[in-house]
Amino acid sequence: MNRNPLILIIGFLIGIIVILLLFTFQVRKSEVAVVTTFGKPTRPITEPGLKFKGPWPIQRVYKFDQRVQNFEDKQTEGLTRDGFNLITSVYVGWKITEVTNFFPTFAGYTEPIQEAERNLERLLSHAKSSVFGKHPLSDIVSASDNGTNFVAIENEILAAVQTDLRAQHYGIDIDFLGIKRLQIPESVTQNVFERMTSERKVLADRSQYEGESQAAIIKSEAERKAGEMLARAESEATRIRGEGEAKAAESLKVFNQNPDLAILIFQLNALESSLKEHSILVFDPNTPPFNLFRGVSPNLLNPK
Amino acid sequence: MSSQLEERELLPERPMDSGSQALSEALKSSFFVVKIVMVLLVFVFLGSGFFIVGPTERAIVMRLGKPVGEGEKALLGPGLHASWPYPIGDFTRVSITGIQRVTSRAGWYAVTPEQELAGTEPPAAGTLNPAVDGYALTADGNIVHTRAHLTYRINDPIRYVYNFVDASNAVLNALDDAVLYTAAHFKVDDILTRDVAGYADAIKSRVKELVEKQDLGIQVEQCTPQSVPPRQLKEAFNSVLRSELGRNKTLDEAKSVANQTSSRASAEAQGRVNKAEVDRALYVNDITSRAQQFEQLLPKYRENPKLFVQQRYTETIGRIFTNVQDKIMVPESTSGNQKEVRYILNRELQVPKAPEKP
Repeated sequence: MNRNPLILIIGFLIGIIVILLLFTFQVRKSEVAVVTTFGKPTRPITEPGLKFKGPWPIQRVYKFDQRVQNFEDKQTEGLTRDGFNLITSVYVGWKITEVTNFFPTFAGYTEPIQEAERNLERLLSHAKSSVFGKHPLSDIVSASDNGTNFVAIENEILAAVQTDLRAQHYGIDIDFLGIKRLQIPESVTQNVFERMTSERKVLADRSQYEGESQAAIIKSEAERKAGEMLARAESEATRIRGEGEAKAAESLKVFNQNPDLAILIFQLNALESSLKEHSILVFDPNTPPFNLFRGVSPNLLNPK
Repeated sequence: MSSQLEERELLPERPMDSGSQALSEALKSSFFVVKIVMVLLVFVFLGSGFFIVGPTERAIVMRLGKPVGEGEKALLGPGLHASWPYPIGDFTRVSITGIQRVTSRAGWYAVTPEQELAGTEPPAAGTLNPAVDGYALTADGNIVHTRAHLTYRINDPIRYVYNFVDASNAVLNALDDAVLYTAAHFKVDDILTRDVAGYADAIKSRVKELVEKQDLGIQVEQCTPQSVPPRQLKEAFNSVLRSELGRNKTLDEAKSVANQTSSRASAEAQGRVNKAEVDRALYVNDITSRAQQFEQLLPKYRENPKLFVQQRYTETIGRIFTNVQDKIMVPESTSGNQKEVRYILNRELQVPKAPEKP
């Protein structure tokens, strides 16, 4: 039987695959690895790529996720400097930084990441209680400061945990840390609610009184303005009338030519206009021209 | 392995007896199976580089452990894709499409997704249990439930996927932090009613600051907070709202009364001025016309004063008597005694009685 070239190629390929799988491994961007020779860590690998290794059982590869892990610690209760009881929890973003330190400490556990987090939690709890104990409550909740103290507290906890982690040589580090929960003990919430209720009562009453007093101010202001407006109008009216009278006074010199006659004419006009309608006139026959009832003037009967 | 292969191939060339022929047949058939398996293995190996991306997924192809492509370009859309087989190449499926959403939880009371959907809220106990119920402390030391809905876009999918175990959780943590931080610097009334927009802006800028500091590779799009007073205090908060509404109503009423007052006053003032104008015009006209009349009459008077006066007088009296309604002449008493005249006024009242009198 002649040798089948296809069989040869396939055999060759399979050989390459086996060699690749036995002597190489891939480290992803998201991973770090450590190569052990007879169980002893000999070569840490932090850069991604295709790497070589001796075959099992001489060399073995342990890979770990080197991405940032999210961890949130359990809520712990602690006192602020001014004696307020706070229940806090923080979140951290941590990752494996030195696999040579991480491997011997945690590789023995079935869940190395969780084990590392348990250690981290212990450090966090300690750092939290010491940092919160150094600050009064007003550093955390405050309308006046612009949040610098809040950030400072986060940074202090972060710095404290980072120092501890370096001292412990866990091979892990924290990238960032922030406050995740900020609460008060359950029994205290009742007191806060009572205070808030009375505060609401004060606010409700105040806005009612404010409304009434503001309404009164608005109304009286309007009345004051109305009064001013009328007073101005009145003085304007007086001025206008005065103007008229001044103008009329110019006519006086006309009447001045014969004041007696002017007075007579005025009187006659006044008399006529005052006795226009609904008037009852009682008179005696001496009133001209009714004196005619008593006869004609003798002067007329004796013409000169 | 390949040396074994050659040995087996050599077998059929030896001289055969019936036993060895049977063996040869058996070997031949089993060798055929081995060949098939080997071919299949190679195909499986080569085929492991092909993969399908589902409609709601994206994928990133890696070569020698490093992602291929940068930024958004590294993301492969739905369809069939190929990479080198492991250990040369590899790929990761990621469920990141378009806009991502997270809602913060740290400041909100415990609520199940079903209740959330139905829009109902769980019954409120007298107190808040820190293990279950979330809330935020405000700047004035009050308790408020507040949360934020954040939408964001992934700018740098490679960072998002390869630098964080669960980047969306990291975003959520940053959002929770921002909500607590912001609430701690706002008063409860500002959060709930007075400065909702300022509160929202403050949360957004804090989230942006945090995601930048943590280098999450995302772009914050929208951040809408939602805040409610503790359910235990609903009635108290509502009473404040009611009284504020009442205040506004009182103020509106007062304003409308004030408007009426001032428009009335304005009309009245204008009326008075107008009246004065009319008065002036009348007065001036009157006096001017009298002056004219006087100037016309004066020459006539000078011609014969006595006659003129008498004529004017009599004429006027005559007109008066014509216009006057009742004229009563009291004849002069011959005895010289004074006479008494009685006159009943209010004639209008007597009108209905008039027909009764015969």
